[in-house]
Amino acid sequence: MAGKTAIIASNGTQFDAYKVYNIATAAAASDHEVAIFFTFEGLNLINKEAYGQLALPEGKEAVAEGFKKGNVPAIPELVEMAQELGVKFIGCQMTMDLFGLEKEAFVDGIDVGGAVTFLEFAKDADVTLTF
Amino acid sequence: MIQTDKVLDAIGMACPMPIVRTKKAMNELQPGQVIEVQATDKGSLADLKAWAKSSGNQYLGTFEEGDVLKHYLRKADQSEAKEEVSFPHTLTNAELQEQLGRDDVVVLDVREPAEYAFGHIEGAVSIPLGELENRTQELDIDKEVFVICRTGNRSDFAAKQLVEKGFGRVKNAVEGMTQWDGSTEQSKA
Repeated sequence: MAGKTAIIASNGTQFDAYKVYNIATAAAASDHEVAIFFTFEGLNLINKEAYGQLALPEGKEAVAEGFKKGNVPAIPELVEMAQELGVKFIGCQMTMDLFGLEKEAFVDGIDVGGAVTFLEFAKDADVTLTF
Repeated sequence: MIQTDKVLDAIGMACPMPIVRTKKAMNELQPGQVIEVQATDKGSLADLKAWAKSSGNQYLGTFEEGDVLKHYLRKADQSEAKEEVSFPHTLTNAELQEQLGRDDVVVLDVREPAEYAFGHIEGAVSIPLGELENRTQELDIDKEVFVICRTGNRSDFAAKQLVEKGFGRVKNAVEGMTQWDGSTEQSKA
């Protein structure tokens, strides 16, 4: 592995999803070991019901056209690609409980853990990002 | 058109798809093989250069054809870094430079066509190592042949092949193109 990238995803709009998954897939394609910790509204990004239809930030709805024109991949496509490249998804247990969500509500293949699970991964990461 | 081992069509794809696809395609290549990545994402130029650097692969260069960027990369070949050269007749780049004016010598560049295209010694003949076996007749057997590649390893193999084919005067330019500081020329797209 060429490096290690640790990402916290804590916001839930479509913009946030692209920020998180673009960096994550690019890092994985560059042979980084990558883990994303999904917490609070970041959980939307792996929620089976939500992740295919994430809202754009308020006032930015016009950008939808730009996404289409730019041939930007859909979020579920990026999620599949990220997982295929070995990106590790960690759902935050505490916020899942808070929102009353079970592991089954999320895409397959995620781990569920607490803050320490993420910290253990992030403590020797070369790149640490929060979105 | 430059001959490569694989062509990847990433036209119309947005970041990070060209990189992700390149990574996947590279996994299917053998060490030393060359890929052409066609992309329209303008950021792919900087991204692929950076990707090659961090992944240890070799970025060769890019041709621009209208809106399409054609990037050329060569998969890292670990053996190139380690293997000892064993062909006994060698010359340094400085010595090679001195010989270039003579008319009874030929410089044979055995790198891949895409490596050759982005910078070679003026007048050098391009025959990739993998094709040399069947193409030695393209060389004048009466001339002295100076064989060069990137780091001196492929040229080592090539020099041995030429001697087996009956070439009498062959030398390996062991320092290779990575250390060549003389002038070079580029091929057209």
